[in-house]
Amino acid sequence: MKKLSAVVSLLVLLAAGTGLFAQTAPDETLFREAKLLVFDKDWDAALDKIDELREKFPSSPWAGQALFYKGECLNGLGGRQREALRAFKEYIQLTGAKAGLVEEAEGRIIDLASELYEKGDASAIRDVESRLGHENKVVRYYAAYKLSFVSDKKIAAKSAPVLERIIESEKDAELLDRARIALLRVSPESLKTVEDRKPRSGSGRMLRIRIRDADSRETLSLNIPIALANLALSAMDEEDKAAIRKKGYDLNTILDELSKSKESILKITGDDGSIIEIWID
Amino acid sequence: MAEHLDKCPECRAEAEEIKRVLEKADAVKAEIREAVASVNWEALPAMIADRVLADARRPEEAPRAARLRAWAFPLRMKPVLAGLAAGLLVGATAMYFALRSPGPRSGRDSGFYASREFLDRAELVMARRNAVDYLKKSQYVLLDVFGSAGEGAGRAAFNSEQVRDLVSRKKYLNAQLERSQMAKAKAICDQIEMLFLELSQLSEEMSAAELQKIRGFVEERQLLLKINLVRKELESEI
Repeated sequence: MKKLSAVVSLLVLLAAGTGLFAQTAPDETLFREAKLLVFDKDWDAALDKIDELREKFPSSPWAGQALFYKGECLNGLGGRQREALRAFKEYIQLTGAKAGLVEEAEGRIIDLASELYEKGDASAIRDVESRLGHENKVVRYYAAYKLSFVSDKKIAAKSAPVLERIIESEKDAELLDRARIALLRVSPESLKTVEDRKPRSGSGRMLRIRIRDADSRETLSLNIPIALANLALSAMDEEDKAAIRKKGYDLNTILDELSKSKESILKITGDDGSIIEIWID
Repeated sequence: MAEHLDKCPECRAEAEEIKRVLEKADAVKAEIREAVASVNWEALPAMIADRVLADARRPEEAPRAARLRAWAFPLRMKPVLAGLAAGLLVGATAMYFALRSPGPRSGRDSGFYASREFLDRAELVMARRNAVDYLKKSQYVLLDVFGSAGEGAGRAAFNSEQVRDLVSRKKYLNAQLERSQMAKAKAICDQIEMLFLELSQLSEEMSAAELQKIRGFVEERQLLLKINLVRKELESEI
């Protein structure tokens, strides 16, 4: 019922948008219906609409754009990644393809190629690697980020130069954190070099965390850039965080205390005998 | 000399002493004579040669073995003592490494380091934070669109750059949310993404009809309510 009313309201709105309901072209109606189904993740029904549009109206201005949504449907259906990849690749080759959708299609190609690679298609990763030099930095950055997760260390390391450039040149905190974590994963030494090279004072400083259990076994050893301190302290084990809270510390007080003196070491002993040491070099 | 010895008691005592020594010497001479007579002088060189060659065959064996026997003897005789010694050795080594590894020391592991497990946890924290941020910003964009319509004469405006930025951020969220198994957050973010993809195709000034369409769409799916609920849920986990 909800779906029906949504379709009805959409049609009414489409009619209002184009002037008169009767004047809405059937190809456009098909396209808009398909998009609505995509929105509701009704992949099969949406795919039927798109195929109908492309078969009945091959020269329609909507037929080209429908390729992007065809890729979405095939991707959503699962098990049809190769077809989805083909649809997105076909879309980005179209003359008159919309810039926003092209950028999205590039992102989908990177996702699908990574997925196929992890499932055993070794050649699929070339689609990601080739986008490390893409003219659009959004695509370039995303390719580097995805490549950093690849299990083959040699391939993953290819993302390092782009990740370094993100850290050096970008201002967006979210993007920076992602790039730092990704570079820490593929090449910690490159992260050290790039942090040391940054002109901003203190960016090369390192937060160190060591946690030992009651039997003096080291359960956590961490050296990370100070810029990731907040994230690192948040990512600590729940029990360790609880021990810290119990002693009257929260993330802000820890960072405040540590930043007071370059060499100060915060040592917290938990009730279970574990010892948490946090300091900045 | 005899007359003097009769008169001088000191000389007489000395003479008697000498006489006693000479008598003893005669006795030793007799014993030596007996000993020499008992020696087999023909066989003596062969006996001496045999003993010398036997010593030369094992020049240091005897002392080393003797030292080893002397060292092992107490352990062989006392296994408890041997166990104690071994225990002390192992304990001391373990103590050395235990005290050596955790403490902060300058110069040790000067590079960045984090285990894969820790990085995965950091990614999870980042996924939650970024999803909350994405949902908040999406709310603002939608409220902005609807709010601007109230002020003008039926037309609505939105910042297309903001919308494009959110569409771009969603790519990273996909990877993070899928790995972190935050299905509800992923579902709502997917819907927002499709809506913003549509918005990004429109001009910044929407007609009344377009605005009505978006508003109906959002209300129909109670998108703002869902955003709020998922956001609160994620915030409580941060």
